[in-house]
Amino acid sequence: MAERGSSTNAYLLVPIILIAALLGTAVIRGPNLVSESGIGSAIIVAAPLILATYALMVLAVTGRSTVDLAVGPLLAFINVVIVKLSTAGYLTSPIATFIVALGLGMLYQLLFALIVIWVRVQPIIVALSGFLALTGINLVIMPRPGGVAPAFMSDWGLGTSIFSPVLLILALATAGWYLFTATTFYSNLKMMGYDERAAWTSGVKTSTVRIGAHLIAGIYVGLGAICYTALISSGDPTQGQNMTLTAVTALVLGGVALSGGRGGAIGALMGAVSLWLIGYVLATFNFGAIQAFMTQMVYGVILVLSLLLTLLVPLISRYVSFISPWSAFLVLALVVIGIMLQVTTYGAFETLEPVVASATLADRYFLLPPARVAADGLAFSPIQGFALLAGLAAIAFVFTARLVNAEAGARTMGLFLYLFVAVLLTALFVAILLQPESLLFGAAP
Amino acid sequence: MSEKPVVRSSILPIPKSIGLVWLNIALALILAAIGLGVGFAQSGLAAQQVILYTVLMAATVFVLLNYVAVVFEARAEARAVASEEDQEAESSRLRQLWADNRVLAIAMATLLVLYLILTAAIPEFRSIKNLIGFLVLELILLFAFKISGYFAAGRSAFIGLIVLFALIVISAFSIEGFLSGPNIKAILLFAAFLGIASVGQTMVALLGGLDLSIPFVIGSSNIALLFLITLGVPSYVAFGFILVLGGIVGFLNGVMSYRLQGQALIVTLGTGFAVAGFTQIMTSIGSQFAGNVFGTVPGWLSNLAAMNGRFFGIPFPPTIFIWLAIAVILIVGLKTTTWGRNLYALGGNRRSARLIGISEFKYWVGCYVISGVFAALAGSLLLGWSGGAFIGVGDPYLFTTLAAVVIGGTSLLGGNGGYGFTVIGVLVLQVLTSFLLGIGLEYEWQQFIFGLLILPMVALYGRSPHIRATV
Repeated sequence: MAERGSSTNAYLLVPIILIAALLGTAVIRGPNLVSESGIGSAIIVAAPLILATYALMVLAVTGRSTVDLAVGPLLAFINVVIVKLSTAGYLTSPIATFIVALGLGMLYQLLFALIVIWVRVQPIIVALSGFLALTGINLVIMPRPGGVAPAFMSDWGLGTSIFSPVLLILALATAGWYLFTATTFYSNLKMMGYDERAAWTSGVKTSTVRIGAHLIAGIYVGLGAICYTALISSGDPTQGQNMTLTAVTALVLGGVALSGGRGGAIGALMGAVSLWLIGYVLATFNFGAIQAFMTQMVYGVILVLSLLLTLLVPLISRYVSFISPWSAFLVLALVVIGIMLQVTTYGAFETLEPVVASATLADRYFLLPPARVAADGLAFSPIQGFALLAGLAAIAFVFTARLVNAEAGARTMGLFLYLFVAVLLTALFVAILLQPESLLFGAAP
Repeated sequence: MSEKPVVRSSILPIPKSIGLVWLNIALALILAAIGLGVGFAQSGLAAQQVILYTVLMAATVFVLLNYVAVVFEARAEARAVASEEDQEAESSRLRQLWADNRVLAIAMATLLVLYLILTAAIPEFRSIKNLIGFLVLELILLFAFKISGYFAAGRSAFIGLIVLFALIVISAFSIEGFLSGPNIKAILLFAAFLGIASVGQTMVALLGGLDLSIPFVIGSSNIALLFLITLGVPSYVAFGFILVLGGIVGFLNGVMSYRLQGQALIVTLGTGFAVAGFTQIMTSIGSQFAGNVFGTVPGWLSNLAAMNGRFFGIPFPPTIFIWLAIAVILIVGLKTTTWGRNLYALGGNRRSARLIGISEFKYWVGCYVISGVFAALAGSLLLGWSGGAFIGVGDPYLFTTLAAVVIGGTSLLGGNGGYGFTVIGVLVLQVLTSFLLGIGLEYEWQQFIFGLLILPMVALYGRSPHIRATV
């Protein structure tokens, strides 16, 4: 290959490292995360933020420093309208709710796009205007939190199972983005974001592309508002500003460039999840009265640090060419899933017995004999178990090393890699779902 | 045609066309007559006073009218010479006229229709105040579209001033006691807080950056100052120390965002979060009221910013005068000093500024340091005003400083604008707030109206060129 070196996705390096570090810490600090209800509630809590970040991501890709500050108030606006209509009894069916939510989101974004195109003011000013106007109108519609969400989403927000409708919405939204990236429209969008003049000169209808991008963002905001309504199962007009600030933070943590042309759903997803994880990890430490301040400060510090780290990425990828984001992803995913498996299945192993001096040579040599699975059919002797594990580890290592080597030059991820991570994830889910609750987290059998 | 008409040198400008002179005399006399009538209609004014003011006003109006007439006469001539070369047919000229004015015509017609519908539909709407309000709005539109074009550089300032004037007129008519002493004092005081907080935002915007840490620095300095005073630090020292701390935060902002200029919004937001969190942790160590600081504000600080403060015997809080001084220094300084001119050069075009040897880094960091210091100053003054420390005191300033800068007419892309524009923006926002409060609208409606106001204001002067024109 002629041009080994910097991969187009190098910007994902920082979010990947960040999320791996956070996920590892989170699992060790609060093992409850790795259970059906833990993951389920994580999904439902993080979903509105993830979808809002997607919306911002689409807009950021269009260029001209489009940061829709109004995304939070818009989400709250849709939430408040849905709740108001449902409390009044007009909105009961899911289809109508979706139509209202997506319609409002798209309508606002269409207006945004038309103003940017025709009035030709900077997008940030339109966003600022929308932020103030929507914040005001939210409080007019619903002066204080309250109301009832439509009945059909009453059990969405419980977060007791992983496979809830919210996960379906998230998966569809993410898959939709990847289907979208396969179209010509997306290449035009990216080109426009990178250099609008060049795109215009080469015949891209920039106005149409901009309107399209805004409509997609509107859909994401609408979906986010539905998830948010399901989460709090009432209306809340006051959270708009917080939502905007966290979503913009998540966007940047995910490595999306505010200047346009660079960004993707994976980055936005990782940014939003890391932001949620920061909160989770901090909640496991007990800071007492200053908990909220600590959270605020750590948010700020991590935000600034990760931004400064993105400055180092070009430097790193110039000198260390074998680290591609995907190889980093692979290695770190292995480590994190390993930690998860260890934490989850801890209780399934027998407690260790002290190694006595009279034991056989092998037992004395391996001071910590590998854990034995307690179930009858799976009993190994310590030596057998160790050999098995060592063999598996060697195979995994060889494959990883080969992939890392091959990955560094390639620009796309091989199919095998997806399979590999998918198998590990399935193993994790099997471990969580099949084990009796009493055996999780080292509870006494 | 290319030489500029010399009008500024003469004290009494006289238009070339004699018709214009007569027209101006007639206008001045009509105004004088109206003034005389209104003056005598108010009982309690001495006749001498009425006559003196009338004569003074008529003379001033006459000179002003002549000045404007001379300026426009010269420009009209220049344009006539220019357009002689391409004489067009009558029909196309009509079409040209329509093309030039269609936005104005459509806007004015829409407003008229709206007014008529409202008047027809709502009986309570039919009042002389609303009629005056409607006429003023139409006049603003006319001015904004037709006259402001002649003020090429200060177009936004001109529109801002007209809006401000119109707001004051409408408020004075519709709100009892709007022009009373206490109300004006309150408007000016809050404008002073917002104005001091917006200093930094203006400077940073001149370079094309943004500073979202301002509200957090305001809140932090607010609680940190009271905390230091409660610890027993002499209040003057604490005050100075807080300003230095604000400068340090600004310095950090500047250094860290220099390489990330496109993301300055986020970097400053991050430092803002960190600073606010850190200050609250620091102030709650050893206190059982986490996040709250209790203490007594020193008298001089209260006098500086409270409503009943006095400035050398004048019953106006000194904060207003401080703001005035800052504004004058900044406006003059940005215009005349090398530092100010270099700032504009950098904001306008980085590359050429660097080529003539201006250090971008120094100015970028300098602007953020100024921003931090003035945010800290605003926070300290707000402590004097409220008498109690509260971290959330800065929250309303998150986007309001930005709104003031934008409404004033400083471009967020850099290189255009100045602090004078921001002063106008601040006053517009504050008078509008007072007006909305006066007619009984709550905070949420104010937000809504601010939001809707920003767009048309910016659309009048801050439009970027069509992409066709930039290729």
